[in-house]
Amino acid sequence: MWQYSPAAIRNFSAPFIFGRFNIPEDNPLTEDAFQLGRKLFYDPRLSGNNQISCSSCHIQALAFTDGRSRAVGVSGVELPFSSMSLSNLLWGPRHFFWNGRSPTLEAQSLLPIQNPDEMDQDLEQLVIELAADPEYEKDFARAYDDVNAENIAKALSTFMRMLISQNSRYDKFLRGELTLTDEEELGRKLFVAHPDVKVSKRGGNCVDCHSQFLTGGFKDAYDGFSNNGLDGEDDLQAGLQAVTGNPDHKGLFKVPTLRNIALTAPYMHDGRLPTLEAVLEHYNGGVIISSTLDPLIVEANNIEITDGTSIGLSLNPKERKAIIAFLHTLTDEDFVSDEKFSNPFEKK
Amino acid sequence: MTRSALRIGGLILAILLVGGGALQYHLDNRKSDLELVFTATAGSEPLVFNEYLYENPGGPGRFKVRDFRFYLSNIVLTSAEGDYRETESYHLARFDDDAKSYTVKLPEIPRRNYSKIRFSVGVDEEANLTREWQGDLDPNGKMAWNWEVGYKFVLVEGSLLMGEARKPIVYHVGFSENLRTQSFKIPQNELDTSAAVLAFDVDIMKIFQGSTVLNLSELASVVMKKTDARVVADNYAKMISLKTD
Repeated sequence: MWQYSPAAIRNFSAPFIFGRFNIPEDNPLTEDAFQLGRKLFYDPRLSGNNQISCSSCHIQALAFTDGRSRAVGVSGVELPFSSMSLSNLLWGPRHFFWNGRSPTLEAQSLLPIQNPDEMDQDLEQLVIELAADPEYEKDFARAYDDVNAENIAKALSTFMRMLISQNSRYDKFLRGELTLTDEEELGRKLFVAHPDVKVSKRGGNCVDCHSQFLTGGFKDAYDGFSNNGLDGEDDLQAGLQAVTGNPDHKGLFKVPTLRNIALTAPYMHDGRLPTLEAVLEHYNGGVIISSTLDPLIVEANNIEITDGTSIGLSLNPKERKAIIAFLHTLTDEDFVSDEKFSNPFEKK
Repeated sequence: MTRSALRIGGLILAILLVGGGALQYHLDNRKSDLELVFTATAGSEPLVFNEYLYENPGGPGRFKVRDFRFYLSNIVLTSAEGDYRETESYHLARFDDDAKSYTVKLPEIPRRNYSKIRFSVGVDEEANLTREWQGDLDPNGKMAWNWEVGYKFVLVEGSLLMGEARKPIVYHVGFSENLRTQSFKIPQNELDTSAAVLAFDVDIMKIFQGSTVLNLSELASVVMKKTDARVVADNYAKMISLKTD
């Protein structure tokens, strides 16, 4: 008996400098799963009131963020957190959401659908709605088998795994296709340098938390989580502690990717900083002390500290501007305009 | 002797020859699963993270450790019958599990009477300055500075408490010249079994208290200054010891 078997995704490539990645054995990357996931991602039927899709808060032109400080869903109530950019999820920590509570994309993808303040959809109801659509029935049959919650999660995860940003100016620089401007190059050097006043080495210390190529948090264990000094002791939220129960993890949040960062304002897990300039000001001298504040942030300074109280990078305006110029080289115009990631319901 | 007795004798001889050959073949191709278990200690006691338990060796105050990890590389076992060299031999030893230990598994290595083991703390220059992925080398990991500078070989992060004052301790020690190799004699026949374990202690205090005793209030951070890094490397050169019962 002839059986349709979905084709593996063709022409799938990624820079070797991104490193190794794992795809779950029970959810191989296939073209059919990707196309199904893309439809689901853009389909407002995934929400309770049929008005909000994943793409309402993850807009391609904004590198799959929404431009808001904190996300707003079906209920109109502001969520505690900012919509996170979706790119290069194949690499980086296996802990999703700002506090790392979801161990896989498959587990992650069903939670916003059901959250009453996000998409407020009952999963069983969703399966009934989608199964009643002959197109979807056909799509699911090709990609997996039945219309069910597990396959919805798998398809959405496949779509998200393929959101690969690899053609920014920084990527082209790494491939030797262009040289950065003097200002961008100064910014890059500061980005990857830990400052050390003892040898007059100046640095922005970014790479102590944001890896040099992926620019996201480190993937091993909970290496990709940090308290970056936004709040004092009394205002610390649980953060990673809510997941691990470890008091040393209080106030630690996921270190996000900086790819396309110029497009994803406002910044930080709760979107409290409106601009990259404000972010640089924070790290330069606005860091607030608490018991779990990252010691690498406390220690890194470009001036000799004598009174033991000043925490910040103490970079000069030219250096801060250079780092921002470098951050702009992480913008990937191809990624944010790539038709294969766009809304399939809008015929071009 | 009858012809049939001769025939049987010949058969037995043949069985012995073939069987013996097979036994010889079997002996030469025997494999051993070797585990190297590294346990983090502070002095002779198991390392405890995140508690101000440890005296500043060369000055005032007590310190705590929040993170300790290092690259262990280029494992070689030596025997009269030949050496065993692990390929892509780059291991990131970290100790944040409950056992505070890190295990390197060397499965199915040739079973021999190895007399020595050696390995390095750090990353050899060739691998240190590349963007290649080998073993646990991860250019996007916490141990990577950047491809122009290479990897941190040994990382200790913590805090020094002096009265009410706290000072962050940041030891990110790298640079190719700070690769340090240690070598240990293995007791006779210890590894000539199908599964063996070699247990090592990694004493974090040796990093601060070796050929040079360090005052953490004066040397709270060692990152880019090469002379500081070398002093620390000469100390961590002896931080690992083979446990003998």
